[in-house]
Amino acid sequence: MKTPLIDFEAATLGYGRKSVLRNLNFRVYVGDYLGLVGPNGAGKTTIVRTILGTLTPLAGTVRIQAGDGGSVCFGYVPQRDTIDYVLPYTAREVVMMGRYRRIGLLRRPREADWSIVEESLKHVEAEEFAGLPFKDLSGGQKQRVLIARALAAEPDVLILDEPTNGMDLSSRLSILALIGYLHDKQHLTIIMVSHLLDDVANHVKRLAIVQEGYFLVGNVQEVLTGATLSALYEMPVEVTQLKGKTIILAGEHRGNL
Amino acid sequence: MGISEFFSTVLTEFPLAFYGSILVGISCAFLGVTVVAKRVVFLGAVLTQVSVLGLAVTFLPYAHIPHTLGSLVFTLGSVMVLSRMLTGKKIPRDAVLGVVFASSVAARILIMQKTPKVETAEIENLLRGDILFVTPELFYLMLGAFIVTMGVYLVFFKEFSYIAFDAETATTQGYKAARWELVFYIMAGVVISFATHMVGDLYVFGFLVLPAVTAMLLVKRVRSIFLVAVLIGAIAPVIGLFLAFQFDFSSSPAIVGVAFVTLGVAWLQQVLRRSQ
Repeated sequence: MKTPLIDFEAATLGYGRKSVLRNLNFRVYVGDYLGLVGPNGAGKTTIVRTILGTLTPLAGTVRIQAGDGGSVCFGYVPQRDTIDYVLPYTAREVVMMGRYRRIGLLRRPREADWSIVEESLKHVEAEEFAGLPFKDLSGGQKQRVLIARALAAEPDVLILDEPTNGMDLSSRLSILALIGYLHDKQHLTIIMVSHLLDDVANHVKRLAIVQEGYFLVGNVQEVLTGATLSALYEMPVEVTQLKGKTIILAGEHRGNL
Repeated sequence: MGISEFFSTVLTEFPLAFYGSILVGISCAFLGVTVVAKRVVFLGAVLTQVSVLGLAVTFLPYAHIPHTLGSLVFTLGSVMVLSRMLTGKKIPRDAVLGVVFASSVAARILIMQKTPKVETAEIENLLRGDILFVTPELFYLMLGAFIVTMGVYLVFFKEFSYIAFDAETATTQGYKAARWELVFYIMAGVVISFATHMVGDLYVFGFLVLPAVTAMLLVKRVRSIFLVAVLIGAIAPVIGLFLAFQFDFSSSPAIVGVAFVTLGVAWLQQVLRRSQ
């Protein structure tokens, strides 16, 4: 029987007195590739913050524990626009920041840490621009560097927040392929937050749809149906297959604007 | 006055002024790199005004507080309040700082209007910060603040850098970003308080900004930016003091003027480099 890494049990999440999601019950297991999708403001980031420990549930429990009872190490890839890059840190220096917690206070990075940094850069194919200032990189390059930074922390779980935001088609597919590689070949447990259904539909293994007052989780085939999406988005939505890919076709909105 | 005569006069007659101006220059330049990187330049201006207000309050008839302590208490009190208010979402950060800035300047003017005339001149001198008459007590307080601030920042350089760059991700890794930022603001507040008392608000604010921006134009590595900013912080005051002696200028504006010219040269160099 699989042991859950993350276990939400009757959890209510929110800020202050305002609850965003109530009675949440779901688990994330080792080796999962979970997509968290939903419109802006639905509560996806709230779930992520609770998992990362920066937000305490208002009610219920959230257990986060490795299989051996130890703590879980998270590698977090934030949205690119949350980062302030006035100073010209190189991509390599940014990736090294992911090691700081493991290095600890009062200690400097050692050769072993730099080796892990180089290894992380190699995994994301960012060696070529590792010496360039992070702020001068393209959107796709920045995203690779941020993923490398998360990998440098040697995480058990990789959490990516809108990793394909603001990217063109080619960059989006490239980043999604990289994330898929990290899951398949590096055996990382992955949680990917996105408001783009198309991005997750053909990449994740499990899907959680988050909407105000609504939460549904399961295998992609179970969750991603026309009926589910039509009810969720209040418009006719059809889910079909084309050349082995899942395609989502949306009609006109019928709800109140 | 020749250069050797200048050094001989200054080091004999005003050694604390000479070393003190370099000390303030280096301290503010060093902190200024993070202040500019965190986009809280206006905070530097606000804290210098709050420090000046604290000085002015110590001249009130019933306020029996040493000037340096009054300035320090006001500055650190503002740091504690602002560090909470600046993270709030209802009022923009700039607006919060603007309110404190305007209120501090207004309060200082009102206080000075109620202090006896004989003390007003002394207050104005203190507020302007005449480096030539810095006391040994203030110099050693500034030296202590400099050593502690530089020491703490350099020992925890990677932590301060990470949190300035990406506080959100640092928090997910277990860093208490708000506490680290508070530590930085407290160190900055102490330095700004003593420095403002020594050299005045213009010098302090100028050196929180000018050397850091100049360094960012000149060099492309983060550690080099700190180094170049500190070098400017050390050299500009010496040149500025020399010019002040030579042409009978006030020392603080002369020193800030030199830092500004350095920035101008750096900017011009970058413009010329781009055009090639």
